[in-house]
Amino acid sequence: MVLTRKTKESLKTALAMTIAYGIALHMDWDKPYWAGFAVAMVSLATIGQSMNKAALRMLGTFLAILVAFVLIALFAQQRWLFILFLSVWLGFCTYMMGGAKNQYVWHVSGFVCTIVAIDAGPDAVNAFTIATLRAQETALGILVYSLVSIFLWPTSSGAQLGVAVAKLASTQHRLFALYLDLLHGKTDAGEAQPHRADEVAARSRFDLLLAAAVTDDAEVGELRRQWRRYQRLATELSETLERWRECFGEVQALDLRGLLPDFAACGAELDTRLAQVERMLTDQAPERRPVAVELRLDRSRLGSLSHFQKAALTVARTHLERLESLTRDLYDCVSGIKGFEQVAIPAATRRAPAATFVLDRDRAAGVVRQMVTVWLAWLALIYIDGLPSGTAIVMMTAPIGMALATMPQVRVAQLFVPATVGVLVGAVPYIFVMPQLSSFVGLGLLIFGVTFALCYLFAAPQQMLGRALGLALFITIAGIDNDQTYSFLSVANTALMFALLFLLLSMTAHIPVSSRPEKAFVRLIGRFFRSCEYLTANMGRDSQQPESRLDVRRRAFHRHEISTLPGKLAAWGKFIDPKALPGTSPEQIQALVAALQALARCMQELLGQRDRPQAQVLVEALSADIRAWRLEVKEGLRQLSQEPAAGLREAFRSRLAEIMDHLEKRIMETLDKTPTGQFGERDGENFYRLLGAYRSVSEALVDCAGNAGAIDWTRWQEERFA
Amino acid sequence: MKSMPHEFAIGGVYFPPLLIAGIFAVIAALLTARLLDRVRLSKHFFYPPLVLLSLMIVYTVFIGTFIIKT
Repeated sequence: MVLTRKTKESLKTALAMTIAYGIALHMDWDKPYWAGFAVAMVSLATIGQSMNKAALRMLGTFLAILVAFVLIALFAQQRWLFILFLSVWLGFCTYMMGGAKNQYVWHVSGFVCTIVAIDAGPDAVNAFTIATLRAQETALGILVYSLVSIFLWPTSSGAQLGVAVAKLASTQHRLFALYLDLLHGKTDAGEAQPHRADEVAARSRFDLLLAAAVTDDAEVGELRRQWRRYQRLATELSETLERWRECFGEVQALDLRGLLPDFAACGAELDTRLAQVERMLTDQAPERRPVAVELRLDRSRLGSLSHFQKAALTVARTHLERLESLTRDLYDCVSGIKGFEQVAIPAATRRAPAATFVLDRDRAAGVVRQMVTVWLAWLALIYIDGLPSGTAIVMMTAPIGMALATMPQVRVAQLFVPATVGVLVGAVPYIFVMPQLSSFVGLGLLIFGVTFALCYLFAAPQQMLGRALGLALFITIAGIDNDQTYSFLSVANTALMFALLFLLLSMTAHIPVSSRPEKAFVRLIGRFFRSCEYLTANMGRDSQQPESRLDVRRRAFHRHEISTLPGKLAAWGKFIDPKALPGTSPEQIQALVAALQALARCMQELLGQRDRPQAQVLVEALSADIRAWRLEVKEGLRQLSQEPAAGLREAFRSRLAEIMDHLEKRIMETLDKTPTGQFGERDGENFYRLLGAYRSVSEALVDCAGNAGAIDWTRWQEERFA
Repeated sequence: MKSMPHEFAIGGVYFPPLLIAGIFAVIAALLTARLLDRVRLSKHFFYPPLVLLSLMIVYTVFIGTFIIKT
């Protein structure tokens, strides 16, 4: 009989859970369900993924225990100071959990610290025993699951990584070919949209599997530096492709084949390189090596172009040159990984100096929400006599509250169904089956059966939440121990405790700001435009004047805002209910988010280009026109930040076009007057890049205004219950 | 004579009357909120989450006083 993967994974988790319980009960350890929790949480699709998560869980547990000891040692007799510092630690962990790295370590550090501190706080004499018990049972669960997954149908991430990387290379190749067609007018922009989404999904799957394969696949582990280089190059390729696409609007009208005589050859060469990369990743030898291509510019034809056209051409050429260098590096990197050629690995680049700390407002809002939730639970525990499940409500506030604080898009109501199913799954065996059992054989079969059923029924990745809640509630309600007791009251209290917890979380979902998707979207879009407005206004600052520390921090903050907000808006946009907001379609929201992402990239590009040296003669001559442009853009951004529907696309476009025309004339006059030799080739390139960046910001802003104007914001701003 | 608060026995388990009133109140408040959303009357409230909480309390008191008689 051939077992499916889903069956095998479910059997592995069920077996590990049963063995972990068996050992903990045999050793007569108190709270053996902690070992069960560890198995339930670290069981993932491959050995590498499980090992990585297990290592993070263990690290988080040690950190949590250390902090819990400090809290108990310092504040065992002062309950207000105790909860104050515990909530501060939880807040810190919640903030860190929202970052890009080690989210699980911080999650575990937060909730395990709460569990140990609340469990051991009133019983400080046994604090050490409780903490060591938590650590040893977590370690037991991890060890048992690791051994089971290694010996029973081991699934390494290496094979899956091979498939994922081939898919990534193929989507990037297809995207490049599509963009080339788009540039030649052979296809329209809408056709590329699903491929872009595919590419993003393929890249995130590759990232996930690479982290796991480095741990569980010896070959990948040995070549990890090269694989990580491939990861960096693929990410950069994706970003460069997007920047390249965004400048198509301005270069499509130009005779590219005439202006760049090698353009067709270059396009074909890049396409071939990406095809060879794809080929090598499916373990086939490359058919040919990359051929050097140079994108020469036909200067004799440049004279017929306006300065803005020259700027657009310079920007497009720069991106194409970057693509050329990236595809060459990708070819070499993949060739080295697959062993087709011995390629020298470039020395590791020196780490960039640590960036200025920038407070992320949304993560800080999550911290406030989590701290308020913990305080409310604590106050309820102290002031409400006979609160169901007592201290457990404070303990459960930490893991669930932290998860919701970092994923504010998830509504508390979405947890009702999995929690109810979990309570039933736990209650039925606890009330009807467990009292009939008299040995571990029966109990083991019960644990095995329930775990298998839950893992099998909730096997899909999108059902992870249901699986985790189901297993957690079964483990909690069954409360398996050597001194087993049975009481309907404990089931009723646990169910009631979850109801109270969800009520608490629903109340704090609006603290400090509403977590209704459309409200959050409007708030974030306002912040995005305000940050763009600040940065535009800041461009007028005299570069000779030294910046104060406060100014540097403010600029870093607004740059952080414009780089992170489009991603957050995309995440919130998916949760907006079109049925509740008639007149707005998901496509309109997607188009607006794409326009905001483009504006963010253009703003970053402009800020980067402004740091390059520019010819003084042009800077002086054009300062008045650049100022007029800046003021107009700033005013547009201000209006959009106050009222997104204020974007009068055509009026705005014509005003900006007027300024740009004037700028064009001024450039011509200035260049005519400039003596030969004063304006070098490098100056010209830098100047046209900067001009191209100004133009791109104008275009992206007009696009944003148009997309924002298409949405019925009045309905979005209305108050609603749900 | 004033009636005495009485517990609810469901399957041999006694439930306090306030809990039963509270459960019905939550359901009634959620239904009211949905109705107000549907007819677009909720836009007149300054802060709907607080209104929902108030509705729950009002319904608990109402059901507890006049229907369940806690």
